[in-house]
Amino acid sequence: MGAYIKGVGMTRFDVDKRMSFQRINECVSEALESSGMKLDDIDAVFASSTDSGRNEERLKHQGPMLSSLFQKKMPILNVPAGCAGGGAALWDSINYLRSSGCSNVLALGYDTVASMTSEILTDEILMGGERIYEQTEGLNFPAQNALVAQQYMMRHNATEDDLALVALKNHENAFDNPKARFYRKNVTIDMIKNSPVVASPLRLFDCSISVDGAAAAIISRDKTDIEIAGSSLYTSRLSAFESEDMTTWEAASLAAKDAYEEASLTPEDIDFAELHDAFTPIELMSYEDLGFAKKGRGKELIREGITNINGKLPVNVSGGLKAKGHPISPTGLSQVYELVIQMRKQAGKRQVDNIRYGLAQNIGGVGTIATVHILKNLN
Amino acid sequence: MKMYIKGVGMTKFGVHAKTSQELAYEAIMEALDDAQMGISEVDEIVVSKGDSIHDGERQRLYPGVLSSILRDEGIPIIRVTAACSGGGSAFWNAVHSGKRNVLVLGIEKLTSSLTKFTTDEFMMAAERIYEQTEGLNFPAQNALVAQQYMMRHNATEDDLALVALKNHENAFDNPKARFYRKNVTIDMIKNSPVVASPLRLFDCSISVDGAAAAIISRDKTDIEIAGSSLYTSRLSAFESEDMTTWEAASLAAKDAYEEASLTPEDIDFAELHDAFTPIELMSYEDLGFAKKGRGKELIREGITNINGKLPVNVSGGLKAKGHPVSATGVSQVYEIVRQMRRQAGKRQIDKTRIGLTHNVGGAGSTATVHIFKNLGG
Amino acid sequence: MIVRWVCEKDKKKWIYPVERCIYCKGLIKKQISTKAKIVGITKVNISSPLHPIVPYNVILLEDEFGNRMPKKTMKDYRIGDQYSLEKAKTDSAVAMTKIKYDLGDALRHTLGLLRFKFEDFDNVLIKPSIIEPAYPYQAVDTNPQILDELIMLLKEKGISDILVAEQSMPGNDTVAAAKKSGILDVCLKHKIGVADLGKSEYVEKEHEGMRLEIAKEVFERKVINLPIMKTNSQVGISGAMENMIRVTSPKTQKELFDKDIEKTLPLFVKALPGFLTIGDAVSGMQGDGPTSMGEPAFLNILYASRDPVALDAVFAETCMFPLPKCLEEAKNLGVGKADIGEIEIVGDELDTAKFRLKSADREATPHSRIRLLDGKADPASFNGALKMCSSLIGIGGYELYLAIGRHFTQEQLHGKSRIVAYGSDAISVLKNRGIGVIVEIPENAYDAEKIMMLKSVIENKDKTSLK
Repeated sequence: MGAYIKGVGMTRFDVDKRMSFQRINECVSEALESSGMKLDDIDAVFASSTDSGRNEERLKHQGPMLSSLFQKKMPILNVPAGCAGGGAALWDSINYLRSSGCSNVLALGYDTVASMTSEILTDEILMGGERIYEQTEGLNFPAQNALVAQQYMMRHNATEDDLALVALKNHENAFDNPKARFYRKNVTIDMIKNSPVVASPLRLFDCSISVDGAAAAIISRDKTDIEIAGSSLYTSRLSAFESEDMTTWEAASLAAKDAYEEASLTPEDIDFAELHDAFTPIELMSYEDLGFAKKGRGKELIREGITNINGKLPVNVSGGLKAKGHPISPTGLSQVYELVIQMRKQAGKRQVDNIRYGLAQNIGGVGTIATVHILKNLN
Repeated sequence: MKMYIKGVGMTKFGVHAKTSQELAYEAIMEALDDAQMGISEVDEIVVSKGDSIHDGERQRLYPGVLSSILRDEGIPIIRVTAACSGGGSAFWNAVHSGKRNVLVLGIEKLTSSLTKFTTDEFMMAAERIYEQTEGLNFPAQNALVAQQYMMRHNATEDDLALVALKNHENAFDNPKARFYRKNVTIDMIKNSPVVASPLRLFDCSISVDGAAAAIISRDKTDIEIAGSSLYTSRLSAFESEDMTTWEAASLAAKDAYEEASLTPEDIDFAELHDAFTPIELMSYEDLGFAKKGRGKELIREGITNINGKLPVNVSGGLKAKGHPVSATGVSQVYEIVRQMRRQAGKRQIDKTRIGLTHNVGGAGSTATVHIFKNLGG
Repeated sequence: MIVRWVCEKDKKKWIYPVERCIYCKGLIKKQISTKAKIVGITKVNISSPLHPIVPYNVILLEDEFGNRMPKKTMKDYRIGDQYSLEKAKTDSAVAMTKIKYDLGDALRHTLGLLRFKFEDFDNVLIKPSIIEPAYPYQAVDTNPQILDELIMLLKEKGISDILVAEQSMPGNDTVAAAKKSGILDVCLKHKIGVADLGKSEYVEKEHEGMRLEIAKEVFERKVINLPIMKTNSQVGISGAMENMIRVTSPKTQKELFDKDIEKTLPLFVKALPGFLTIGDAVSGMQGDGPTSMGEPAFLNILYASRDPVALDAVFAETCMFPLPKCLEEAKNLGVGKADIGEIEIVGDELDTAKFRLKSADREATPHSRIRLLDGKADPASFNGALKMCSSLIGIGGYELYLAIGRHFTQEQLHGKSRIVAYGSDAISVLKNRGIGVIVEIPENAYDAEKIMMLKSVIENKDKTSLK
């Protein structure tokens, strides 16, 4: 049974002082407007929001908050999955849409990240790692990814210059994205290469930026111009060091394989992608996990400009997590937002042409949860 | 498309020194044995576990923890959180996943935090500006609801004590219950210290550790999931016009009955959400077992006792079996299955054709209702 | 060094112990490596509450089986270096290990770092902390799992004459405490005798002007001190030194506190024959210790040393506390080493484990309206006072100060009103210092009377005396 996207919405990703419900209101209103629907038409909501209660809102029961906000009693579920929350919420809503009798489901991601002090935020994200082996040894999130990046760079001869090219590309893309944190903010290769080291070899500009945000997508049984051709989610080990080969993320490659199979496609068919560049080297590794490049050859794509906005396979035209921003749970849905407005030719200055198939990849932890969604443009 | 139950598993509910993944492993192993399946046959896992700042475990990406302990890279695992209705919500999510074999797991480790921290964590299920700042912790929220109910419908503290006594007597024979073989008398109940008036210690369910798992499948078995529904409503009880009914519960019940083509009279036995004794009385009404205001008659006339017409909480309920938040909803399913398969030992009841589970989060904010049909002999 | 739990049949490896394989239901084998090399290193510049000292490095170790493990270190290793740990060279060394899922391994590893061989250990006295009936997760008493592992280790070494002994704080039931803490079950499992040191035969020792009554088992057996590492509102920390107080008679305990425990404790420790201390920080306690008012610290560390002063000093430093006074005194008396710079630390580096724990509030009681004025009161008065406060929980009213002990400082008493004195020590000392007291509660009154007196002050805002 087919699933289609009616509309999408998202707030600007930024450090703002608003409460969650204000952000949710804004992006859901945009999604409803772009679908020509009213809130009453929504049958169920699958939300994703980290509810550890550690930001000032201290709320651990998200569903009812949404029910009070939307003034409607209906099935509302919270499916937190760290940075893969958006993708997980979408995947779960698609499953629900297909197996229940309902017509329209809202997938929603929101998080207030920037209002926590950076110490507490680091600690919260640290808790995505394993306690006895990782947390006690100071392996916070950048450090976990740094060790993975180091193994990747050593084995496949990728350099810090390659990482800088990824960051530069995404910043140049975000310059023209009004929803991005770095909209109209000029970032040069020197700024990138000279930024302070966070966890070697990762510098500040290799790391995605924590911001607040909300994003939503309304999916439906009713046929629209955008079909969900493939949707998959895989979960694997908690710690990167448990894997035999630390330079590939199995959950990501399994999810990609399933999604391609469901859509009856191969990597060559993809015209446009939004990948999970939580850290610049992860983008290079993802080129390989998604089959866009053979193992070890991800760096060639960035060196040859293939993934630039005017290249053969534009990646992260929105600015990616690096330059658009990474408010954790909304991210996966903001990737879908980009795919949809590109397909509907609403992307303004950063419009890319001839997009038949778009792909969104969302990852949680150090390759612990991965979702891949493939959209088909019927326009 | 109907789903069926293959197997269930559960740890004893109590104070455990084991880590949460050890508890999870134990419950999952029992469920797999019960279903006569291997882990590789599972197509999806839905786990419910709350996040805690203060337990020693500090694990936010729980699906990863499970994947690591199950050693299988090829299973999608997602997490669902819904406060005390986590178990039922995960179960509902699994029923509507469209996958062939789904493992549902509810797991919670509450006792590694001190009471004052658990109280704070539970309080975060309430609204921040109106409730948390005014000291409305979880017992207090329910106390105000209970008070409204008791005032309007003339229920008394004796009625509450009868509910607690019934559930404790039931738990006495349940080896998985916290209060297994622990004698609790009506005097202990009535003289227990006041926690948030009018609720006494023995009116409140007990916070413990535990895990419960269920494997559901598209393959036909002897237990059919005839109705499955979830409703979410307002965050704060005081927002409702009528504080003595929980709309999410009655809406979920209505939908579930409709889906199963049944009425409340068809239900033979039920596992209800007795987080606090007065809530059990209120739930009799929300689920249609008694007319509005007449819940107390059921307990006074012994109708919901183990040998009554409609046994409720034969497992001991949240009160005497224990309430490891996210695990509770799945442990209710465990009891249904054991009863239907005539594996309930000393607490086996006779009529187990149709069973119902009812799991609530917050002060009636989220509610799930599931109805099960025994297709076996 | 690096451990994996393996099912060889299904080729599955776990990083923590599982009982049986989920696939074949078969048995699990332990795979332990002896050497590891460094295959990755990252220098981290951002801090977090558990890792406040930056920069630090995290290295990625890989062993001969291809198993990996991350490790925090302050040293700037290079990729390709071999990783090895140095063993102790001096007698006062302190071994410190971060526990990785296998407590038995951690214990053996820690003692191995100290080169501890259990020579001449024909009979043993294990002295855990069991001060109050509490569950293991409350971190009030020694964790039963570490006792279990220690007994198994001793038995492996051929030592079978083992006695476990302790006495709870006066006013608490030692047997009930041993039961609730899970320690009694461990002893029953191993068929080990348990003795109540409050009822022992004592040996008298004259030492530095004090007459100490010390349980004879201390001189007849080799002692292994097994304290749980905690904060302590009276002496700073409860650790190796504080745990040994309870090998003396209740009379001696009172004498030690009467003469100011911060001065007498190091003198007392000097009078004891040498002993090994294993510091249980499997969880450990922070906040308002040493009773159940404190909170678990989840430290996951094991300490060991032949020098109790050094062990306590290293613990204090781990928590980022200032050096407790009695450790300062101990250093001056030559009882042991207390300067971090002089102590040899083996195993995990101290700087990789340090983070700010909550220290104890000296005025905390279980009752929200009662503040404690503690003149370093002896354990009977201290425990008695806290129990009185507990029994009044639920009674609301007006704030008051409950004074106990005899060694009050000027600032402690400055500006305090509505003082209730409990015990003859406090009553007489405050009278001599001309401090006005509303009510005097003698320690030999009936419990019900004491509570009534305290209650009357809480409930009456303007109460100025009992009359």
